[in-house]
Amino acid sequence: MQTPDEIIHQPVRLKIMAALNTLDAGQWLEFVALRSIVQATDGNLGAHLATLESAGYVLLKKDFAARKPRTRACLSRAGREAFHRYVIALQAILAPQNLDADAWDSKRDRGE
Amino acid sequence: MLPTAEEAAQALRDIALVKHRAAGFQDYQAESGQLILWGLAYVAGFVLTACFRDYILPIWIAVVLVALTMGIRLARRSGAGAEVAWRYIGVIGTFLLFGLALNLVFWPLSPEQSAMLAPMFLAALYLLRGIQLRPRYTVIGLVLGTLCLVGYLFLLPVFWAWMALACGGTLILSGLWLRSG
Repeated sequence: MQTPDEIIHQPVRLKIMAALNTLDAGQWLEFVALRSIVQATDGNLGAHLATLESAGYVLLKKDFAARKPRTRACLSRAGREAFHRYVIALQAILAPQNLDADAWDSKRDRGE
Repeated sequence: MLPTAEEAAQALRDIALVKHRAAGFQDYQAESGQLILWGLAYVAGFVLTACFRDYILPIWIAVVLVALTMGIRLARRSGAGAEVAWRYIGVIGTFLLFGLALNLVFWPLSPEQSAMLAPMFLAALYLLRGIQLRPRYTVIGLVLGTLCLVGYLFLLPVFWAWMALACGGTLILSGLWLRSG
């Protein structure tokens, strides 16, 4: 059975990934909006975002909007795929008889 | 180490919760711009009506057309697809047809009575939307409906100015409230 990704399998990082996964490709979410959705403190969110960025799962963009610094985040392609694999791994733990390794591989091949 | 079934279930529940929260947040963000825009339109419409009572119809035609054009642009900018223009025209058309139908049924209506139709319809829609989807819409519907009704029942001498604040002001403040997350 596939072991869930250890980087994603942390409550705050899981929430970050889940929130960013709701965005369309090319869409960015502002740090303050993400903080409100994930319900984390600035420092906590920043640290976990850095971890996800190091893993190549999250892209961060820093710029200025109306002369104020702004940080935005989105999932990278690798991040989206990793999150998808993570969810499938969780589902497999809950129902291993319905989702064995072969089924998981075929789902991945179909890009589900 | 493999998580237990309970941990896996909890993680999936967390994902569903965040997904729901993110959808709500995005919905509120998209709605906030529209509320502020139509709030400003109502303020302009009611203030102009108060100043130029003989030109109510051309004033409101101009206000609706300008707000409609800007609303479509705003919706497109917020990531909605190209088909949003037709949906938008459909929604505003429904409002206008509703107002027209009630005018036909209850004719003759005073300008003040006519002016109550769209805000009351809007208030009812937000109440229903709030009950079914997101709680903040219920509050917006309740405040909007109550303030407009109070103006019509008790403040007729200053009706137009009151409606600029009660309707336009409520929509603008509601938009800012939704934007605050």
